[in-house]
Formats: sequence, structure tokens, C-alpha cells
Amino acid sequence: MDPLVNLPDWAGMAPMLAFAVTALVLFLLDSIEPESDSLSLTVLTGVGLIGSLAAVVLSGWFLLEAGPVELFAGAYVVDEMSLFFTALIGSVTALVVLGSHDYIAETDYRAEYYSLVFLAATGMAMVASANSLAAAFVAVELVSLPSYALVAYLKHNRGSVEAGLKYFLVGALSSAIFVYGISLVYGATGALQFDMIATAIDGDALTGGPGILGLGILMVIGGVAFKTAAVPFHFWAPEAYEGAPAPISGFLSSASKAAGFVLAFRVFTVAFPLDAVSGTFDWTLAFLILSIVTMTLGNFAAATQEKVKRMLAYSSIGHAGYVLMALAAFSGTGAESLLADVSNDSLLLGAGMMHLLVYGFMNTGAFLFVALAEYWGVGRRFEDYNGLWREAPIASAAMTVFLFSLAGLPVGAGFLSKYVLFMGVIGAGLWWLVVIALVNSALSLYYYSRLVKALWIETPETPHEIDSYPAGIYAAVVAAAVVTVLLLPGFGVVAEEAIAAAGALL
Amino acid sequence: MIETQWYLLLSAGVFSIGLLGILVRENALIYLMSVELMLNAANINLVAFSLQHGNLTGQVFALFGMALAAAEVAIGLGIILVLYRNFETIDVTVPTTMRW
Repeated sequence: MDPLVNLPDWAGMAPMLAFAVTALVLFLLDSIEPESDSLSLTVLTGVGLIGSLAAVVLSGWFLLEAGPVELFAGAYVVDEMSLFFTALIGSVTALVVLGSHDYIAETDYRAEYYSLVFLAATGMAMVASANSLAAAFVAVELVSLPSYALVAYLKHNRGSVEAGLKYFLVGALSSAIFVYGISLVYGATGALQFDMIATAIDGDALTGGPGILGLGILMVIGGVAFKTAAVPFHFWAPEAYEGAPAPISGFLSSASKAAGFVLAFRVFTVAFPLDAVSGTFDWTLAFLILSIVTMTLGNFAAATQEKVKRMLAYSSIGHAGYVLMALAAFSGTGAESLLADVSNDSLLLGAGMMHLLVYGFMNTGAFLFVALAEYWGVGRRFEDYNGLWREAPIASAAMTVFLFSLAGLPVGAGFLSKYVLFMGVIGAGLWWLVVIALVNSALSLYYYSRLVKALWIETPETPHEIDSYPAGIYAAVVAAAVVTVLLLPGFGVVAEEAIAAAGALL
Repeated sequence: MIETQWYLLLSAGVFSIGLLGILVRENALIYLMSVELMLNAANINLVAFSLQHGNLTGQVFALFGMALAAAEVAIGLGIILVLYRNFETIDVTVPTTMRW
């Protein structure tokens, strides 16, 4: 098929550039109107919404119309997987921008807040496209540095500052470990670009024996584990998500986690292909252990929480464990899957991508509901949410959709993405891993329904005093709920795209 | 010419000193310095391996690493500053308003 217009290769970066340009436009607006309270918040939100939706539309257009593009001598690739994740990141960014509109209305430096969100989104889109460890490291830092500042954004709030500090401390440590791992991989293979690393490993051209490469891969896993909030680098997550402004918690736990996973998918399938490195370091075993520990710890810790935001933070760790199963069950062979006429590996990665997509909507939506509750000053504990449906029936209904979809009940697409993921893991012969995941899902239903019960059944000790209904957060919550439900009938179409994207990578 | 394994030994030593500093010291500024040590250990590796492999990839990446380390310190110092304003200390073990 002839393209409609002949675009230069660099046009493939357009979705990522949409984020970058938006960040710069916001900085420009801020410097034209430096008095922070005179700059209209509506203008900022509008620019942010246009920018993030432009990224979604552009990546969707490239996904359907254009082929894969390699840029910068192969260090940056725009392919189906990177475009899928850019669309995901753009959607989450749009929700976060809309949800932040009322949340940050009373604070200073609002233009900077939005710019930082867009700089982090730029980094996430770059992570999705990075095809070299150097590009990946720079992109990961571009995600992390604005995120630290955003978590500590409420600078007179001790919780926010503490959260920012802890996020920064763990993040700085893990990025040091990540870059040291990269240096060891470079030492063993003499290359930083993913396909060249694979060639060097495959051709047995390793310097310094397999030990250096193995240690390097292990340290790279450490860097990925931090971004995805997986054990053992999960310590920052409950603190950072609880203390951060709630829209930022949603942003980090959905988009930032997705960026970490796309990096993991690309690094481990392209740079360290299983058949070449299995003699040195069998990374599926590492991901198997990480997956089991992460989902179990996340879900059990979530079940014991008294605060809603912290429960969601731990549940976010648990969901990282589910997606890690996609890498744990990876086989590197072209074995057929149980569900469709594709290889089981592409089904697994596609299901992981779908779960991250659905998770992007339902989890961001859930955190935005918490943002709504924080805006009203409802309180942080489960009991404080008692009987909230009387004041906010629509938002409560949306929250119920999010929570049940997170648990894997078929009211939202969370059910289908989990189902396909589990079928992929069974197809790889790891049925006992699915049993562990099912036990965890059952446990998660307990703590999610605790909140649903509080919202709809319990009666509040003192009636909630709610006098204003913030339009921005409401619109974002409702939009997220609608998409979560619509992905249920629309799942097949999007999943085909995701599985094809995963297949193109393998 | 000094053989590459000596550079590797040096970088492993620097990395371990940094890690030890992170684990035992409570001052946030010392923590930042320790992270810098760990990042620079990676730079030593990159430059040494670059020489051994005879390509410039590693040296260029070491420059990237330094720039990013500087950016990280800038953000880190900002966070330590607001930490001091809120808690009147830069001891990283003091802020414990949230507990699991």
C-alpha cells in the first residue's frame, strides 16, 4: 500500500515530539505570564489535553498507516509496540491532565506542574522506542527526574515531601545499579544497541566470560524492577503513591509502570534472546521468582491496609506481578498458543500489553477517584468513604467499575486481559503459576470489595459536607470508566493489534 | 598498558564504597555523594571497556552518564532543601509520617 503522503523518517517521532512540544509550550506560556495565579488554569489544561490527545491520535495513525522506522542508526525505533505504548501513555496523560485541573487549582507553579508531567511523558514515549541501552538509560532518567519533582510537588505538605525523598533515594540507587549493569553488558559485548548485543552474545564473542554478562543482566533487571515497582525495588511505591498528589500517583502507577514494562519486553526479547543467553543467565527464572514474590507481597500487603490510597499502591505492586508472568512464562520457541493461531510468546507479551492498557484506565481512574475524595477532604481511611454514594453516585459507580475490573470481574476489560494472560501462562505449561495468580486475584477481590462496601452499604458517622463538584476530575473519572467498560466488547480488536505488535518484535 | 581487569577491580571497589555509604550513612547529602560514586564506577567501566573494544560507544555514553548524574543531583538537592524546610533535618531516617 502506498502511503498517502511521503513523510520523512523522523516523522515517526511525532507522537513523542507532541509531548515534548507541549511541555515547551507550557514553559513558554509560563514565561510570558510569570505571575502564577494570573495564568488561566483552563488554558493550561486545554493545552495539555490537546497535546496528549494529539500524541494518542498520531500514534494511532502511525500504528495503522505507517511501517516501522529506525532512526539514529538504529538506536531509536518506532514500531507497533512503541506506538501502542505511546498511545497508552498519551491516554493516561490526558486523564491525569484533566484530573489535575481542579486538584492543583489552589497551588502555585501550575504551568511547571503540567510541563513536568509532559516531560515525564516524553521520557516514557522515548523508553517505548529506545533500542539501545544508552537511549534507554537517558529516557528512563527523563521519566524519573520530573517524577521525583512531581511527587514532592506539594512542598508544604510533609507527606508529599517525604514521598518525594523516598522515591528519589530509591530511584537514584536503582539508576546507579542500572547504569553499572549497562557498563558490564557493554564490557562483555562491546555494544549498547539491542540487536548488536544479541549478535555479540550469539556469536560467543564475549569478553571476560559469561560472569560479567550475567551480572550485568541481573543489574539491568534491577533497573527495570524499579520502574515497574516490582520486588525488591518496590519500597518506594507505597510511600510515593500515598504521599504524592493523587493524579500523580495514578500517572506513576499506570504510565510509568507501562514504560518500565515496554523496556523490559524490548531488552529481554531483542538484546538478551533466551536461546542465546540461557546458558549464561536464564532470565525467565529471575522473572518467575520476581513475579511470584511481587504479586503475593503486593496483594497480601494491600489486604492489610487501612488507607485507601495505600491499598491502591500495594494493589499496583500486585498488578506488576501479574504482568511479570508474561516474561516468566516466555519460552523463546515458536510454540502455538491455546487461544489463537499465534505463537504463545506473542500471545503472552500481547496479553501483558493489554493488561497494562486496561490497567492504565482502571487504575488511573481509581486514583482520580481518590483525588476527588482528597479534593472534598473526605479523609484517607476506608471508613471515611462510608456512604459516599449519596453525595456522588456517578463517581461511586465509576469507582465500583474500576475496583471490580481491577479484581478481574467481568464488569470491565480487566477480566479479559487477565484471562488472556492466564491462558498464555497455562499455554507455557506453568499452570501452578496461574493457581498462585488466581489465589492472589481472589484475595484482591476481598480488599477491593471492602471499599465498594464502604461506598454503597455502610452509613457515615458524620455526613459528608460536599458543596462543589469539580468538573475536571469528574470528567476524567467518567471517561476512564467508560473506556474500561468499552474495552470489554472492544477487547478483541485492540488485543489483535497488541499481539501483532508483540509478534513483530519477536 | 594496564589490563582491563584492574579497571574493573577499581570500579567494583568504588561501586562497593558507594553502596556501603548508602547503607550505613543517614545524611541525605552523603547519600547523594555515594550515588555519585556508584555512577562514576560505571563511567570507569565504560571508558575502560571502550578502550579495550576499540570503539567509542562507551566513552560517549560516559559523557551522557555524567550529564545525567548532574541533573540527578540538581533534583536531589531541591528535594533535600524542601526536606530541610519541612522537617528541619536532612537525616533520611527521620521522615516517617507514613508507615506500613
